[in-house]
Amino acid sequence: MEQDIKIETLILMSVVVFAVLAVIAFVVPFENDDTRLFFMGLAAALTAINVVGLLSVWRASPTVIDEVFLMTPTGMLLKHYTRRLRPDQDEDILAGMLTAVQNFVRESFDEAGGRLNEIRFEHYDILISHRKNVVVAAIISTKKPEKLRNQLNNVTDDIELRFGEAIKNWSGDKKELGDVDIAMKRFLSGKYKVKKK
Amino acid sequence: MELRDILKKVVLLGDGAVGKTSLIARYVVNKFDDKYIATIGTKVSRKDIQVIKPNMIINLRMMIWDILGQKEYSKIRSASLSGAQGVILVGDLSRPDTLKSLQDFWMKEVRNVVAKVPTIVVGNKLDLAVKSSMSTTLIESMGQKLGCPIMLCSAKTGENVEAIFTTLGEMLVADVVAQKAKAKEKAPQTLAEVVDFIIQDFCAQYGDLEKAMLIVQYQFEDAGVDIRKPHKESVLKAIDGLAKAEELSLTKTVARVNLEERQRMVILSKA
Repeated sequence: MEQDIKIETLILMSVVVFAVLAVIAFVVPFENDDTRLFFMGLAAALTAINVVGLLSVWRASPTVIDEVFLMTPTGMLLKHYTRRLRPDQDEDILAGMLTAVQNFVRESFDEAGGRLNEIRFEHYDILISHRKNVVVAAIISTKKPEKLRNQLNNVTDDIELRFGEAIKNWSGDKKELGDVDIAMKRFLSGKYKVKKK
Repeated sequence: MELRDILKKVVLLGDGAVGKTSLIARYVVNKFDDKYIATIGTKVSRKDIQVIKPNMIINLRMMIWDILGQKEYSKIRSASLSGAQGVILVGDLSRPDTLKSLQDFWMKEVRNVVAKVPTIVVGNKLDLAVKSSMSTTLIESMGQKLGCPIMLCSAKTGENVEAIFTTLGEMLVADVVAQKAKAKEKAPQTLAEVVDFIIQDFCAQYGDLEKAMLIVQYQFEDAGVDIRKPHKESVLKAIDGLAKAEELSLTKTVARVNLEERQRMVILSKA
C-alpha cells in the first residue's frame, strides 16, 4: 500500500511538471523561438526521465505473496505456506472450495480443457497454475500479479517434474512429500528463478 | 507409539433432499438444519478424528465433500468425485425410490469415477421410518449385494451419525501399517544401512527436511561419526543427540521409543 502511494505521488508530480512546462512552451508568447524550443525540449526531457523513473520503480517494487497452496487436482491440500496468521481461515476447506469453484466455472462454460487461472477479489489476486498432478495457487495482496506468473509456472513445472509421480500415488501422509518445502518457501519469498528445462 | 497424520477425501452422494448436507452439519458442527444450503454444486467440510491401532495413533483428517444430488449435473459430480478415497451413499428411509437409486445409479457413478474405494451405504431419516419397515429390509439386502456396510441414522436426532464417519475412518486407514512394523519386515543389516535408515526416519518424523538435515549433520559431526566408515559407539552417541532434538519437536515418549528402537538396531547391526 505504501508503495502504491509513492507511485501515485510520482505520477501526479510528473503530470504537474509536464503541464506547467507545456503551458510555458505553448501558451506564453515568447519573442524568441529559441526560448520556446528550450522549454519544449526541457518538457520532453523531464517527461522521458519521469517515464523511465516510473518504470524503474514499478519493476523494482516487490510483489508480496501472502499465501501459497500446493494441492492435488482433486482439491486435497498437500502443503500451505503463509506470511500471516489467519486463525479464522481453514486452509484445507479453502483449497477444496477453490477446486470446487474451478469445477463449477468449467462446467458453466462447458470447456472440458479450460482452466481458471486467476481470481480477483477486492485487494486480493489468486493466481493458479495447473499441471497433471499438481496445482499451485498463490494469494497476493499487492498489485502487479503478472510479475509472479513466470515464477509460479516455473515452481509448478519443477514440482510436477520432481514430485508429480509421488503426488499421483500419494497415500494422504504429508510426511511422504519430502523436501517440497524448499522450493515452495523460495517461491513464497518471491525468489524462485528456476528456468524450464 | 508411532504418530501418523493422514488426509483423506470423503464424498457424500445420493438423491436430492435425502439429508446429505444435514448429515455433515450434524457430524461436523453437531447442528441440524432443515434449510437446504444452496451451493455451487459442492460444499467442502473438514473433520479430524483419531484412530488408534496397535503401536500407532493415526490423526485422520477427513475432507468431506457434499455434492449436489441432482442427477443432471454429471460433469460437476464427476470432477468433485475424482480422487475420493471414501464414499458415503445416502438414501432416505422414508422414500424407497432414493434407496433404490443408490444401487441403480450412484454406486455405478462411484465405480466409473473412482473404482473400488471404502464405501458405506446409509439410510437416513430413521426418525421418520419404522426400523422393521420395507425400507430397512430393502437397504439391508442392498448392502449384502454390494458388499458394503449398511448403517441407519437420523441427522435430525443425531442417532448413529458419528458411528458412520468413525466406521468409514477405520476403513480408510485399514491398510496403514506402522513404519516400525515395516522396518521389522526388512530389517537393515549393516551399520551403514542402519545409519541411513535412522537419518531417513528422523527426517520423516521431524517434518521440515531442511532443518532435520542440519540437526543430523550437527549431531553426527559432534559425535564424530564418519559416514563412510561408521562405528557403533559414535553412532550411539549421535542418536542420543537426535533423541534430544526429538524431545523438543515431538514428545518425550516418542523420542524415547525412537531412541530405544534405534539403539537396538545399531547394536544388532553388522559393523
